[in-house]
Amino acid sequence: MVKVSFAFKSTIDAMIGGAGHSLCFQCGACVGDCPAAQYSTRFNPRQIMLDAVLGLADRLVTEDSVVWECTNCDNCFDHCPQDVRPVEVILALKNMIHQAGLSPKNVAPLLHSVATTGCTVAVSELINRRRRELGLPELVRPPVDELQKLLGDKKS
Amino acid sequence: MSKNGNGHKKYAPFFGCLISTKHSQFEAAVRRTMPKLGAELVDLEGFSCCPDPIYYKAADKLDWLTLAARNICIAEEAGLDLLTCCSGCTSTLREANHTLKHDAELRGKVNARLKIIGREFTGTIEVRNIAMIIRDDIGYDAVAASVTRPLENFRVAIHYGCHLLKPGAVMAVEDPAQPEILQRLLAAIGATPVWQTKHLSCCGTACQNEDMKTEIMRDNLAEFAALDVDAVGLICPTCFDQYDLGQLQISRKYQTKYEMPILYYFQMLGLAQGFTPEELGLQRHKVSAKPALAKLGLS
Ligand code: SF4
Ligand code: SF4
Repeated sequence: MVKVSFAFKSTIDAMIGGAGHSLCFQCGACVGDCPAAQYSTRFNPRQIMLDAVLGLADRLVTEDSVVWECTNCDNCFDHCPQDVRPVEVILALKNMIHQAGLSPKNVAPLLHSVATTGCTVAVSELINRRRRELGLPELVRPPVDELQKLLGDKKS
Repeated sequence: MSKNGNGHKKYAPFFGCLISTKHSQFEAAVRRTMPKLGAELVDLEGFSCCPDPIYYKAADKLDWLTLAARNICIAEEAGLDLLTCCSGCTSTLREANHTLKHDAELRGKVNARLKIIGREFTGTIEVRNIAMIIRDDIGYDAVAASVTRPLENFRVAIHYGCHLLKPGAVMAVEDPAQPEILQRLLAAIGATPVWQTKHLSCCGTACQNEDMKTEIMRDNLAEFAALDVDAVGLICPTCFDQYDLGQLQISRKYQTKYEMPILYYFQMLGLAQGFTPEELGLQRHKVSAKPALAKLGLS
């Protein structure tokens, strides 16, 4: 049975870019050029907007949520006549999933790497050697304390 | 561009995580070629990851905007426009700059956090992709004038990737459905751009479903292979990984062997300006660039 969450609307409306979902009039203009819809058996941005409007939190804010199939190509942002910005709504849903502790396994290590080194890639000796061979300046880390102050208690 | 410019063009380059580490050959290509176009790159200290527009943004948009704003502040403090060389960094920094200039509420929230480290987003600079800077400030003619070794009879399939162009209202580079910037850049170095609207496809990297990702990559590679080109040309390190490393993955999974050299535009510009393949790190790619270099008489 599908459960409707009445709290869902106020939660997603409060997320950056989340409120756009309520402008959706279900025209489907976001679907035709959506690579994820083309390659997936279950992904459809129009349906995701409908599920959001209906407050079907159990379908959207889950560990295996379909939203992670989005390729972030921004085609829907440009094609939607209602300025829903479906990709931004999808990212707001991802923020909710992350807050619920259900985001994919690769997210936490990436956040940790940025908070502790300022970079998503671990800088190895091979990387430094290749830079030297190309005559490039040495990599300098950003002041990580600044990043940590900005991130407050979320620097995990 | 610096405001006291008198014709001299200065920019703060933002190389980002991927180019400065895994793909430093692209950084070398940009650093070597831009001075020949009359542009000075002024390195600023303290940049972090842009941060990543896919997963960092997916975790917490306010954190994402705040770290992006901190990077922008560094350029504001120096009074220089940011020049981005990676479509991911372009996406993050251009969107953050656009959002914070236009949304007073978000700017207030971000500035409240930046205050802790003594910085403030003031909205005084522009963030532009290097291709856009060439089109608008430097000009295609200056590119052509820097060429000493035109890439004649060199056919290049163009892969635009997503975030140079989209979202159209934020990127404001070209009409995302009918772009011409990369065709013009390739023509300026004497190469033959080979282009179809199909080349506006997404490379698929950001999709979390591995099967979908591989299928998108497989189909795009098949498109390129059918074009009888000497190389695929692009401007984004993420798309580059998808097609360079990707060809090896596709060979393993589908027994379809491709040997298509994948080149970053500024490596091709570098060759046309007379730099050696080694100076541009062309020996570093997973798929050998040798057939392309042989075609140019450079091996
Ligand atoms: S294009 Fe916009 S209005 Fe139409 S279905 Fe998609 S999100 Fe809704
Ligand atoms: S951004 Fe996501 S939902 Fe929008 S068109 Fe691209 S893949 Fe589809």
